[in-house]
Formats: sequence, C-alpha cells, structure tokens
Amino acid sequence: MSLIRTEDVCKFFGTLEVLKNVSISVEPGEVVCVIGPSGAGKSTLLRSLNQLESIYSGKIFIEDELFLHRDKGVTVGRTAPQAHKRLLLEMGMVFQSFNLFPHRTVLENLLLAPVNVQNIPKAEAEADARQLLETVGLSAKADAYPARLSGGQQQRVAIARALAMHPKIMLFDEPTSALDPELVGEVLGVMRSLAESGMTMLVVTHEMAFARDVADRVLFMYEGTVLEDSPPAEIFTNPKNERTQQFLQRILAH
Amino acid sequence: MAKERIQQRRDWRAESAAFFLNHRAVCLLTATLLAACAVLGFLRPPMAKIRAQISPRFVRESGSRYSEAKVNLLVIGIARGRNVKTGDTETYVGFAGKIFQADLNRELDLKAKAEKAEKERGETVRAPLTKTERREYQRQKLLENVADIVLWIPPLLDGSKITVSLTILSTLTGAFLSIFMALGKISKFKPLSKLCSAYIFVFRGSPLLMQLFFIYFGLPLINPNLNIQDRFTAAYIAFTLNSIAYMAEIIRAAIQSIDKGQFEASKALGLTYGQTMRLVVIPQSIRRLIPPVANEFIMVLKDASLVSIISLSDLAKVTQTISTTSGKVLVYIPSIAIYLIITALFTFIFNRLEKRFSIYQ
Repeated sequence: MSLIRTEDVCKFFGTLEVLKNVSISVEPGEVVCVIGPSGAGKSTLLRSLNQLESIYSGKIFIEDELFLHRDKGVTVGRTAPQAHKRLLLEMGMVFQSFNLFPHRTVLENLLLAPVNVQNIPKAEAEADARQLLETVGLSAKADAYPARLSGGQQQRVAIARALAMHPKIMLFDEPTSALDPELVGEVLGVMRSLAESGMTMLVVTHEMAFARDVADRVLFMYEGTVLEDSPPAEIFTNPKNERTQQFLQRILAH
Repeated sequence: MAKERIQQRRDWRAESAAFFLNHRAVCLLTATLLAACAVLGFLRPPMAKIRAQISPRFVRESGSRYSEAKVNLLVIGIARGRNVKTGDTETYVGFAGKIFQADLNRELDLKAKAEKAEKERGETVRAPLTKTERREYQRQKLLENVADIVLWIPPLLDGSKITVSLTILSTLTGAFLSIFMALGKISKFKPLSKLCSAYIFVFRGSPLLMQLFFIYFGLPLINPNLNIQDRFTAAYIAFTLNSIAYMAEIIRAAIQSIDKGQFEASKALGLTYGQTMRLVVIPQSIRRLIPPVANEFIMVLKDASLVSIISLSDLAKVTQTISTTSGKVLVYIPSIAIYLIITALFTFIFNRLEKRFSIYQ
C-alpha cells in the first residue's frame, strides 16, 4: 500500500506545461526528497497533492483510494465529500513562508484547526498542542505572537501546527528557503527527528545534505518531469541522467 | 482562570499608569480644570437668585410677549427675559459668587454704531464715545457675547444629539451589514457578486442628499405603504444604506490585502471558506479597517447636516436657524467647537481601538 500515488498528473500555467505526466508514489514510513532546479514543478507537484493547485489531468490516490481524477480540466472522479476531507487532512503542509496566523498566539495557532475542524475538546487539544511544542522545542513560546519569533522558530511552530492535525504524511514545500542560513539547522533538526520517529515525509528542498542523510529516495525533477528516482547513495554518487549530473555538479560545487 | 484575571487586571493597571505617564501634561491640565470647575461651581449663585434679578417691571410691561430662557452650566448660570415684540432683553449672568447684568445699554449701542458708521464714511465724528463710555461698551459687548454663547449651548446640544446618534447608529449598522456586502462582492457566485457591485455602484455613485430625499419623499409616491412617518428613521435608513456601500469597499480592500498564504494555510488545515473568513481573515483585516472606517465615520458626522432637507434639526441646522433668527454669526464658533469636540472624542476612541487590535505585531 502506498500513502500517496499519482498517475500521469499534468498541469498547465497558461500554455506552459509545468507538470508532464508525473507519476510518483510514497510508501508509509518513507522520506522522499524532491530536488531540481527552480521552475521544475517541484512545489506545484506538492501543492497539487493537497488541492492548493488544481491539476489538468491525471489521478491522485491517497491510501490507495482514488482521491481525485481529472481529465482535460474536468473532474471525472473523486471521493465523496466527507471522505475527501478526511483524506485531505491526512496530508499536513509546511510552507516556505510559514503562513502562521499572525493574530493568534503560538498555542492558538496549533489549536485553531483541531478545535474547529476536528471538533476536539479544547482542553484535550491544548494538552496535545503543548506536547507538540515540546517536541519542536518551543514550550516557552506558547503564548507569544508569531511576529515575536525568529524565522526558524516560526517554521518550527508551523511544523507543530501541521502535526496537530495528526496527519499520516507531511508535505514540506522548501521549508528552509526563506530562512537565514544560521536558522536552517534548527528546522532541519526538527525534520530529522520527525523522520526518525517514522513519519512519512515528502520534502521539496535545496538542502542536499539533508536529502543525502535522511531521505530513503530522492526524486530529481526537471521541466515538469521526474527524471530520476533513486536512493540518495546512488543519485549523489552515481547519477544516471545527464541533467541530474549537471544539476548536482552546480549545486555541490559550492 | 483566576490567575489570568489577575494578570489582566495587572496589565490594565500598568496600561493606565503608562497612559498617565505619557500624557502627564494633559492629565495635569485636566485635573486642574476639573478642580477649578468644582470651586467655581460651588461659588456660583443659585439659579433662582439669578432669575430673580429680572425686574418685575420688565416682565409686567412685556405681558404676553414675555419669554424667558435659563441655562445652568454648573460654573455659569444665565437667565434672560425677552420682550419678543420689541426685542428688549434683560440678561443676568451668575459666575464666581457674583451676578452681572449682560445687556447692551441701548443708547450706548446706538451711539457706538453711529460713531462707527461715520468713521466708515470718513466723516468727522459728531459725538465720540468718552473713554469710560467706550470701556463700558466693550465690557457690555463681551458679557453679551458670553451670555449669547451660553444660551445657545442647550439648543446646539439638542441638535448634536441627532447628529451623533444618527452617525453612530448608521455607521454601526452599516459596518455590520457591509461585511456581508463585501463578502458578496468577492464571492465567486457571479449573480451575487454582480448584484452587490450594482448596489455599491448605485449608492456610492449618487448623492446622499438625493437618496435621503428619495427615501423620505419618493418612496411613498411609489407605494403608500412605503411611507416612513418618522423623519429620524428615514434618515437612519438612508445613511445606513449609503454607508454600507462605502464600508463594503473598505472591507473588500482590507480582505484582499490579506496575504494569500493565509488562505492556503487555512485550506491545508481543512478550514471551510466560512471558517477561514471568520477565524483568520476578518480578525486580521480589522486593524487595517480602523483608519478608513474612522475616516468614513467623520465624513458621515459632517454629512449628517443633510438631514435638514427633511426638516430634522441637527447641529448644523440649529446653528443656521439661530444665526438667521438672531442675526448673530457668532453662533458658528460654539457650533464648530462642538463638531471638533465630537470628532476629537471619536478619533481618540478609534486610535485606542487601533492600538488594541495591533497587539500582535
């Protein structure tokens, strides 16, 4: 059983084809990193999975259920609304720009969705939220507003906020790209321990060291297609595709 | 819970302490003024005593044409008897333990006017005022002006009651209803969006004066059931409909200025559109809304003067009436002062609100 599987997903921005027949799958417990030059469609792929972008055609399966099937821009099949929402909530999303709710404290950020979407009693949700803040190392900041936090702290809160919904898979959309270099480490640290705890993760990233150390598989995307799909040891030492070689050379040369 | 409450009380205390420290000069001045008012109020002769100064002879001679006005402003008390036919008055001002007569001596007034006219024509003045006469004339003139202003205050305040209540009621209702108008306008459901746009176009694009006129005079002609008896209600409806249009645009702009990431994060967390608006977007827009809403509020406060066309006596109308009937343009000064005081008060309230809603920044 795969947690997420896509079949021939296509997507256009205007006339530009940003995803060309992308078929990937993520197994439970796996950490999959997506690398590639900017404009390759990495983020679009991730955002298509949880419906932030609508795809042109293709199928998306969540836990082997047909989550969405579109053909030529028309939805031809999808799960019933209730199940659809349940499957959507099995994906937690972490954004490049954090997107915390600035008018609510850290704790309230974590409570908002569990209380209002999953109807969990507030006391129960709060105990859970404090536990999560502990795991990302921010218990002390529970009552602070996001604007008072550093970028790294904000991103850790954003991770905790996504985890508060207890998703089965976490989607990370370049989680460290908007951070100052010295703050990257703390976020990657949280992600590492999350991976160690067995969380399934799909990570779009430019952090090659993270991909090499943590990922079970690395996907290389180029101009809307997945050119390579191999274990990190293979892709970083012996890339098969010429594009992958060029990309890695340029990135790792620094 | 109790701990939180104590914390809040402490915050409140610290906040007010900080307020006093930051506005030390204003606070000291206010305290001094209040103390002075208390002393002067205590010293002021009782109203009955001031009233008793009006001579029985004057009242008797005026007969049925006698009218009387009394104003009690705590520190100052004034009683004025008037013979409506001749225009003669007897005015007494009670202030700081004394009672002054505050009428212009008629002969002195005529003499001063004649002198002024001759001077303007460039003629030699036939009977100039003596030094003591001139001083007396100036003193009387000043007292008369003071008495006038004080006597105008009650009718002006009556007028401003209408102005203020109309403004507050219509902007509050308008602010609440305009949320729905704004959401309607940005709705993806085209007919609704078009309808809201049309409403805003009509009510923002035509003069409020005509809308008011139409609602009060025009609607009953279309259908007698639409006759609005109460003038204030008619004005309230017209002003509300108008401010919905303006504020809907303000709210729409504020909502659309919220970062797209907020919508995305809400969607990814499974919030519905309604929840996203209610829990995430609108609370964040409020702080951005306050300055333009304050602006709108002050505009409405001044536009309230339009209600005079349906014979409602608001502050502007009362001022105008006093000015035309008494021939004294001086009335515009207290009237403008009242407008400024109201505006200052609401500006203060809006500033506090804005601070309150920006704690998270």
